[in-house]
Amino acid sequence: MPESPPHHEATSPVPVTQSPGFWAEVWSRFRKQKLAMTALVFVGLLAILGIFSPAIVGTKPIICHYKGGLYFPAMGYFRESWENPVFITDGVIYNYPQKLKEKDPQSWAVWPLIYQDPLRRVRAGEMDGSAGNPIGMAGQPSRHNLFGTNDLGEDVFAKMVHGTRIALLIGFVSTGIAAVIGIAIGAIAGFFGGWIDWLLSRIIEVMMCIPTLVLILALISIIEKPTIWHLMVVIGAFGWTGIARLTRAEFLKLRQLEYVAAARALGFRWSRLMFRHILPNALAPVIVPITFGIAAAILLETTLGFLGIGAPDKTSWGRLLNEGKENLQMWWLIVFPGVAIFLTVLAYNLIGEGIQQATDPTLKASKH
Amino acid sequence: MLNYLIRRVVFGFGTLLVITFAVYALIRHMPGTPLTLDLAEMSLDQQISSSEMKRLERQYHLDRPWYVGYWLWAGKLFHGDLGRSIKEKKPVSRVIGERVPRTLLLSGTSLILSYLLSLPLGLYSTARSGRLDERVVSTFLYMLYAVPTFVAGLLLLVFFYKDLAGTPFQLEPGMFSRNYSQLSTLGQVLDVAKHMILPVVCFTYGSLAYYSRFIKSNMEEVVRQDYIRTAKAKGVGPVRVLLHHAFRNTLIPYVTMIGLTLPALIGGSVVLEYIFNWPGMGTLYLQALSQRDYPVIMGLTLMFSALTLLGQLLADVLYAVVDPRISYQ
Repeated sequence: MPESPPHHEATSPVPVTQSPGFWAEVWSRFRKQKLAMTALVFVGLLAILGIFSPAIVGTKPIICHYKGGLYFPAMGYFRESWENPVFITDGVIYNYPQKLKEKDPQSWAVWPLIYQDPLRRVRAGEMDGSAGNPIGMAGQPSRHNLFGTNDLGEDVFAKMVHGTRIALLIGFVSTGIAAVIGIAIGAIAGFFGGWIDWLLSRIIEVMMCIPTLVLILALISIIEKPTIWHLMVVIGAFGWTGIARLTRAEFLKLRQLEYVAAARALGFRWSRLMFRHILPNALAPVIVPITFGIAAAILLETTLGFLGIGAPDKTSWGRLLNEGKENLQMWWLIVFPGVAIFLTVLAYNLIGEGIQQATDPTLKASKH
Repeated sequence: MLNYLIRRVVFGFGTLLVITFAVYALIRHMPGTPLTLDLAEMSLDQQISSSEMKRLERQYHLDRPWYVGYWLWAGKLFHGDLGRSIKEKKPVSRVIGERVPRTLLLSGTSLILSYLLSLPLGLYSTARSGRLDERVVSTFLYMLYAVPTFVAGLLLLVFFYKDLAGTPFQLEPGMFSRNYSQLSTLGQVLDVAKHMILPVVCFTYGSLAYYSRFIKSNMEEVVRQDYIRTAKAKGVGPVRVLLHHAFRNTLIPYVTMIGLTLPALIGGSVVLEYIFNWPGMGTLYLQALSQRDYPVIMGLTLMFSALTLLGQLLADVLYAVVDPRISYQ
């Protein structure tokens, strides 16, 4: 009797490999692009530099033991109120190394890698009898001041390292705001159509025509004490028009597709149709202008800083360039921040281009 | 088409009304008025009395609420009057009119240059696509595009103004030399031309990079089409295929871009004029904003928004003109 073929259990699962999702595939295609990946790594490094900036350059100890307590004065660079008021009342903040020892001989501290301050000039003898920062033309790049010093003797390297926080935050926060507003308005206009679409399109048109500079300048001067956060909100609140137009176009296209009609026939509410069914498919084309928007926001902030309006923050890269315009001989005030802005903008452009390549469906087809 | 045009123009006027209203509200809420800011600059013996202040406020309608001020401004505008500059004591139309040619000198030259240069560059990089020399040129252009104009401008100034000081190659910021009025007519022309070099270079390089990339990406799409292969198969030479068959079809997006450059052409660049102390529209704008010269700001805003709208309309109309498949009903 011939042996019966091996019996398959009806219940044994057929090995199913799940095909990678859209975003997984985009990521795998993005990863293959060397330039875009390099740019992404660069932005990642900038982020690390920004987060750890007080530990890299500063005059405030990262950790110190003072009068029986442990403190983290360097956190004061993130927010003034995060520096314990004890140091202000004791008059320590402008000369930690000497005053700490003076007020409490038992104290110890862990210092940042480089003893320089982004907000004030380091005076002679603060740290181990070092010389004070040179002022003006004498402040060429040197061993003590890697990128030189400005007119007031403030260290340019320290300013730039601390300035990465502003550059990155401006990019992410303002573009994030712009993306949320833009996608929401574009989605509503494209989804509902009719008079809603008409009205929103007119609003977008008006927004695109108002000169950005007037808007920002007027809004910033109305605010009593403008901070960098106000600037982010203003840049974000007026940078959404491009994103809105694209989202609207995507929604107009997608809402006529059969799967949306099917979902509608199933009786889903409009919110489910909008968010679950259409929005995920509309995101891919929108994410590219969002990346470019980050570069544009950084550029706008530095431009405002350069013009001497808007950003009141002393560490903004644009501010350094503004000082450079007044002192053209001090080339280090122009070259270093200029290169930093250039590289950051270039990196975001490359990332945007990489995403564009990775999400382009026609390129996917040509791969086979 | 006529119907479409009329509708667009009517909507355009509505849009302009909304924009000017919003901007007027904004600038009137900025702290300080042209009079108080003026006061801060004056020395004590020049201070104007409070009664004089009241009179001036009444003259410029600053004593009225902002919406009344807007109404008065719009009413005058309806009669073709943009008002008088509070600072320069001249009609706004003349203040702007003086500046337009100066800005056009920069932006017009740069527009022509970037269009003229980007065509051969774009075609060249399509023809040599993928070769080493094309990669080098394209990478360079791409990087150039990411250089902010103010960084480039400052670096150029450092080199040509400071480092070359004393040599005949030194280039100064500003529009005229100090001895401009003593020069002959030819000398004056040459003097302005010399001062134009740096700003025009800064104005041009970004758009040059952008346009040539634009041409290349459009060309690459067209070159893949079947009819190009057919033309090649028929034995048409590579130059003729590129220029006669492929390039003509990429003209559509290129032409429409002309419309979109309109606002920048006359509005100029605030940043560039600021760097090079060029007395054009951009500097006027900054100056008017910081001096709270409301009529000038409003005049500039109106002009800028109208040009933006007009540019968009022009782009759409040109689109229909060059592409017969598009029609507006």
